[in-house]
Amino acid sequence: MGLGKFLIKRTIQGVIVIWGVVTITFFLRFLTPGDPVSALTPPDAGPEVRERMAENLGLNDPIHIQYADYITDLLMLDLGTSMRTGRSASIMILARLPATLELALAATIISMIIAIPLGVISARRRHQKSDYAATMFSLLGISTPNFWLGIMLIILVAVVVGPIPTGGRDVSFWEATVMLFLEANPRGFGNWAIHIFLPAITLGTYFTALLTRLTRSGMLEELGKTYVEATRAKGLPETLVLYKHVLRNTLIPIITVLGLQLGTLIGGAVITEEVFSWPGIGSFLIQQIAYRDWVLIQGILIVIGVGFVVINIIVDAMYAKLNPKVVTE
Amino acid sequence: MISKRLKQSLRSELRTSLMAKIGLVLILLILIVAMFAPFLAPHHPTETRVSDDPEVDKTDLPPIGMGYETSETRLVDGEMQTVETTIEPDHSFILGTNTLGQDILSRLMYGARVSVLVGVLGALLATAIGVPYGLTAGYFGDRIDDSLMRGADMMLAFPSLVLAIALVGVFRDTDFHTQQIPDPFVLAARHDTLGSFVPRGEHVAAMPASITFPVTVTLVVALVNWVWFARVARGEAMAIRQEEYVKAAKSVGASNATIIRQHVLPNSLTPVIVLATIQVAAIILLESALSYLGFSETTLTWGYDIQQGQSAAATYWWIAFMPGMAIVIAVISINLLGDWLRDALDPSIEGEGGV
Amino acid sequence: MVREAGTDETRRSFLKFAGAATATAVVAGCLGEDDDEDDTPATDDDEDGTPAADEDVDIDEVTVTQGSVTDTLDPIDHNDTPTWNILDQAYEPLVYRDRDGELISLVATEFERTDDLVVELELRDDVVFHNGEDMTAEDAAFSINRTNDPDQSQQAGVIGAIDEAEAVDDTTVEITLESAEPAIFRNLSAFGRIQQESWVEERDDDELATEINGTGPYELVDFEEGSHVDYERFDDYWGDEPAVVEARFDGTGDDGARVASLQGGDSDIITDVAVEQISEIQGDDDVRIEGEPSIRCLFLVMPNNDGPFDSHEFRQAMNYAVDVDSIIESLLNGFGEPTSQPTLEGMFGYNPDVDPYPHDPEEAESLVAESGYEDEEITIVTPTGRYLADTDIAAQCASDIDSLDNVSASHDEWETQELFDVTDTGTMEDSPDIFLIGWGNPTFDGAYAMNPWFMEGPFWHFESEEMEDLLTQAADEPDEDAREDLLMQANELAHDEAAWVFLNQQYSIYGASEDIAWEARNDEDILLKEIFAAE
Repeated sequence: MGLGKFLIKRTIQGVIVIWGVVTITFFLRFLTPGDPVSALTPPDAGPEVRERMAENLGLNDPIHIQYADYITDLLMLDLGTSMRTGRSASIMILARLPATLELALAATIISMIIAIPLGVISARRRHQKSDYAATMFSLLGISTPNFWLGIMLIILVAVVVGPIPTGGRDVSFWEATVMLFLEANPRGFGNWAIHIFLPAITLGTYFTALLTRLTRSGMLEELGKTYVEATRAKGLPETLVLYKHVLRNTLIPIITVLGLQLGTLIGGAVITEEVFSWPGIGSFLIQQIAYRDWVLIQGILIVIGVGFVVINIIVDAMYAKLNPKVVTE
Repeated sequence: MISKRLKQSLRSELRTSLMAKIGLVLILLILIVAMFAPFLAPHHPTETRVSDDPEVDKTDLPPIGMGYETSETRLVDGEMQTVETTIEPDHSFILGTNTLGQDILSRLMYGARVSVLVGVLGALLATAIGVPYGLTAGYFGDRIDDSLMRGADMMLAFPSLVLAIALVGVFRDTDFHTQQIPDPFVLAARHDTLGSFVPRGEHVAAMPASITFPVTVTLVVALVNWVWFARVARGEAMAIRQEEYVKAAKSVGASNATIIRQHVLPNSLTPVIVLATIQVAAIILLESALSYLGFSETTLTWGYDIQQGQSAAATYWWIAFMPGMAIVIAVISINLLGDWLRDALDPSIEGEGGV
Repeated sequence: MVREAGTDETRRSFLKFAGAATATAVVAGCLGEDDDEDDTPATDDDEDGTPAADEDVDIDEVTVTQGSVTDTLDPIDHNDTPTWNILDQAYEPLVYRDRDGELISLVATEFERTDDLVVELELRDDVVFHNGEDMTAEDAAFSINRTNDPDQSQQAGVIGAIDEAEAVDDTTVEITLESAEPAIFRNLSAFGRIQQESWVEERDDDELATEINGTGPYELVDFEEGSHVDYERFDDYWGDEPAVVEARFDGTGDDGARVASLQGGDSDIITDVAVEQISEIQGDDDVRIEGEPSIRCLFLVMPNNDGPFDSHEFRQAMNYAVDVDSIIESLLNGFGEPTSQPTLEGMFGYNPDVDPYPHDPEEAESLVAESGYEDEEITIVTPTGRYLADTDIAAQCASDIDSLDNVSASHDEWETQELFDVTDTGTMEDSPDIFLIGWGNPTFDGAYAMNPWFMEGPFWHFESEEMEDLLTQAADEPDEDAREDLLMQANELAHDEAAWVFLNQQYSIYGASEDIAWEARNDEDILLKEIFAAE
C-alpha cells in the first residue's frame, strides 16, 4: 500500500469519526432534561411561543428528518442561528478560531523549545542531578492544574518584572504581521508577544512536561541500540550523535503521542483562555454555556471535534512519511 | 489477580524507590485528613469572620510567618484614606484566612473530601462502564469489536475538559446535581450524650452536619474517562482469548459470559487497577477545573477556592495559592503511586490526564 | 429591518411571539448614557487629585478596559452597562442627563409635552451619520419605534409606554403615549439610539451586530468579537470636537489583570477595581483611583409568593440578621453606604425619615419565631462577578442568617446570565427563593426603583395591594409634590414590609492614568468626549 492509498484510507476513517462527532453532538440536545424545545427556547417562553418555535425549528418532525436537516445544513457549513443573538453561528465561531489556533501553536512551539533539549540532557545524564531535576519538573508539570499555574504566573511576573498586561490579546498575529511589513512597525509584534507569552507558557506546561518525559525515555531506548556505538566509534562529536541520529529516531514516536495529546492541548486552551481573557473559542464556549445557547455550543463542539480529527490525520500522514513501515502494516 | 509474585515485585519496587514511598505516605495522609476532617480541621470550614470591629474581623490574614507591611485604602466619611499597616498572622489560622475570614486550612481539609470522593467514585464508575464494554469488544472481536471501539473512539475526538463542560451544561438542569451526605462523626458527636465516645466531641459536634457531594460532576468525569478503561480492557481481552485455557473452556461448552467472568476479567484486572490509579489523578484535576469554572455546584472544593481567591490574588496571594498546592500535592502523590504500580506490574498503559 | 415572522428563530422572534417586553439584562445595566452638556472638563476640585485638563491638546489614543467586551454592536440587542459604555461613543440618544441627573438637550434641542399623551421633540438640523448622510426626523422616529418594538428590541420594556413615534416635519418628532408616563424624557435619555432607517433596513442581523452607523463623536474602525472595539474621531460630528483621537474598548474578566493592564500602560481607564487593590493604584504615581457612589444599590430579593418569605416577620428578621455595616467596613473597605429603602438618597421620592435596619440578631430570632417559620433552610443565590464583591457579600449574608439559632442558610453562585434569565420572566415561581441583585437607576426617579419590582411585569417579585395602589397613583399624578409624597410613602412601605433585604449602595471604582483628565460619573457611564489631556 502506497502513501497515497494509506492517506485515502485514513481520510475515510476520519470522515466516519467526524460523522460520529456530529451525531453525538446532535443527540446531546436530547440528553437535556425535558424536551429539546426547552433546550432551544429561552427559559421565559410561554407555551404558544414554544409551540411556534418548535414548529419553525422542525422539532415536531420525526427524529430522522431532523437529523437529515441537521446534516444537510452542516454540509453547507451552516452551524445554525444563535438563539440569543440571531446571528450566524458559523460566523461567530469562525471569528474566535484564530485566537485559539495562535495560542495552541505558540504553546506547542514553546514546549518543543524547552522540552526536547531538556529530555536529551536528562537522558544523557541519567541518574545525575540534572536528570532528577528534569524528571521532577515533568512530574510537577503534569500534576499542576494549568488555571492555577496561570494565576500564579501572573502574580510572579507582577512581582518580578512589574506590571505587564496579563489579559486580552490586543493584536492578532495577522495584524502584527501586516503592521510589520506594510508599515514597518515592529510594535505590533512586541505587543502580540507580550500578550501571548504568559498564556502560551501556561498552556504549554503540561505539554512540555509530557514531551520531556517522552524524549527522555525515547532517547534512553535509542541510546541502548548498537548503531549509536557505531557512530560514536566513527568519531562523530557526541552532540552530533545525540541530536542528529538518536534524536531523529526518537522523534517518530514522539510525534504520534503528541497527536494523541492534542486534545489535552485544546482542552487546556479552554481554561487558559478563561484565565487570561483570551478571546478564543474556549472562553466563547464557557460563555455560551452560561447563556445556554445550544446552537452555538453544538457548533463549537463540532468545530473542536472536527479540528481534532483533521489534526490527527495530518499527524498520521507525517508519521507515515517519517516511518514508511506503518503504511505497509 | 494479585499473585504472590506480584506482591513481591510491588514490595521490591517500594523498597528501592524513594518516590514510591513518598507517594504512598502522602496518599495515606490525604485519605486520613479527608476521612477525619471534623477531628483535624481547626475551625468550621465555612464560618466567616467579617466585622466592622477590627478586633473581631479576621479577613485576609496571611499564613503563619508571612506577616508583612502594606497600605490599605478605606473610604471614611466619603474620603479615601490610605494607611500603612502591618498585617500580622494569627496563630490559630496556620495557613491564613480568605476574604471572608474563613480558615484556609480547614477548607482544604474539607475540600480533600470532595476531591477524594469524586476522584475515587468517578474512577470506579468509569471502570464499571469501560471494562465490560472493552471486554465485550475484545473478547468477541471482529465486527462487534470494530463497531464498539469506533463508537468509543469518537468520544476521544473531544478533549476531556470540553466534553465535560458540555455534559455539565446538559446535566445541570436536572434535580440530582448535588447530594447532601451526612457526616457520621458529627452526628455521632451530637448524639454522644456522655461526651466520651467521640474524641474532641464538642469540637466535632460544631462541624458541618453534612457535606455536599457533586453528583453531576462525578457522573460527568466518569462519562468522559471511561473510554480509556474500555481500550485497556479490550487489549487484555484480545490477548487472553487466544490463550489455550480459554479455548479449552470454550470447547467444553462454557458460555461466553462465564468465560469472560472467570478467565478474561480476572486477568485484565492488573492493568485496570494501574489505569484506575492514574485516572484518579486525572479526575481530580478535571474536577478542580470544573469547580474553578463554577460548574460544580459546591463551594467547599479546592477549585472553587482558587476561583474565590483569584480576584484578590495580587494582594492576598495565599488564598489562591494554598488550594492549588493541595491539588498539586494530591495529584503528584497519586501519580507517584501510579508510577510505582506501573513499574512493578509493567503494563504499558495510555491515558489522558492534565487540565 | 425586514423580518418575516417564523423564518428566523431568534430571541427577537421569540419576543415577537411572546409580545412581552422582557429585557434580559436590565438588571445588569438598566443604565443609559448621559453626557455633560456643559462639557466641563474635570477640574482639580477633587481631593483625590483628578488632574486639571488641558482642552487644547489632542490625545492620540485612549484604551478603556472593562470586565467584558460586547458581542453585539446593535444598540437594541442588549441592555448592559459595559455594552452601553462602548456604544455610547457612536450612538446618541435624543436627550441626555448631566452629572446631577438633570435632563439636558442633545440631538433634540427642545422637548416638551404638548398633550396628556403626546410629547414633541425638536431636533438639530446639522446632524450627520457616520456614512456622511444627514439625519432626518424620520430616522429619529424610526429609531424610537425600533427600540420600542418587542419583536426586535430588548429595551422595549424599559423605554416606557410609547405607542408610536412619528416625524411631523423635517426636524420634529412627535411621540404618542399609551399612558401619562411622567418619566418619558428620562427614559429617552437612556434608550432610543438614533440609527439611520435606510442603513438598518439594508442590513441583516450579522451586519447590524458588527457594524455601526450612528451620529456620535466616534466612528467604528474595527470590531474583533470578544476582544476589542476600536474607534476614531468622527470629523463631521455636529458638536465640539473631542480631544481623544483614537480609542479602544477591550475587556478582561480578571480584576488583577485589569489593574496590571492599567499599571503596565495598556489601559488608560479600567472599571471595577477590587477594593483590596485600591491602595496599590493609590501608591503608583502614574495612575489614580476615580471613585463615585453609584446609582446602583444591592439587595436581596425575597419573592413573597411562598413560605417562608410570605411572612412579613420573617422578611424583617432577615433584615435584622444581616450586618450591613460589617459588610461595608470589612468586605468593601468602607466603599458603600447602607440603604434603608429602594430609592437612593438624592433621588426623587427618597424618604429621609426611614433609617436602615439595625443589626439585631436577637430581634431577628424572635421575629422568626413569631413568623412560625422556624428551622427553615434557605439558599441565597448570587450572580458572580457582576457587582463589587457580590459573591462575598452573599456568602456573608448567608453566614449572618445562618448564625441565627432558628434558621440555617447557605449561598449558591450562579452564572450572572443564568440568574437574570430566570428572574425577568414575570413569574415569581421561576426565581430562586432569595437572591442578590443590583439595580441601577439612571432615571434618578423613585418610580424606576420600585415599579419594576413591585408591579406586575418582568421583574415583579413583591405582591402587595397597598404598594400597588401607591405606585399606580404616583404614575398618574401630574403634580410633582404630590407625586413625590406618594413615592416617599411607597419607600417607607417597602422598608416596613421588608420587601427586600436592603444592603449597600454600590461604589463605582475606576482606575485611571494620570495622563488623562477624566472624572468618574455616578451613573457608571464613560464618555470619551469627557476625556481630556492632563495638564
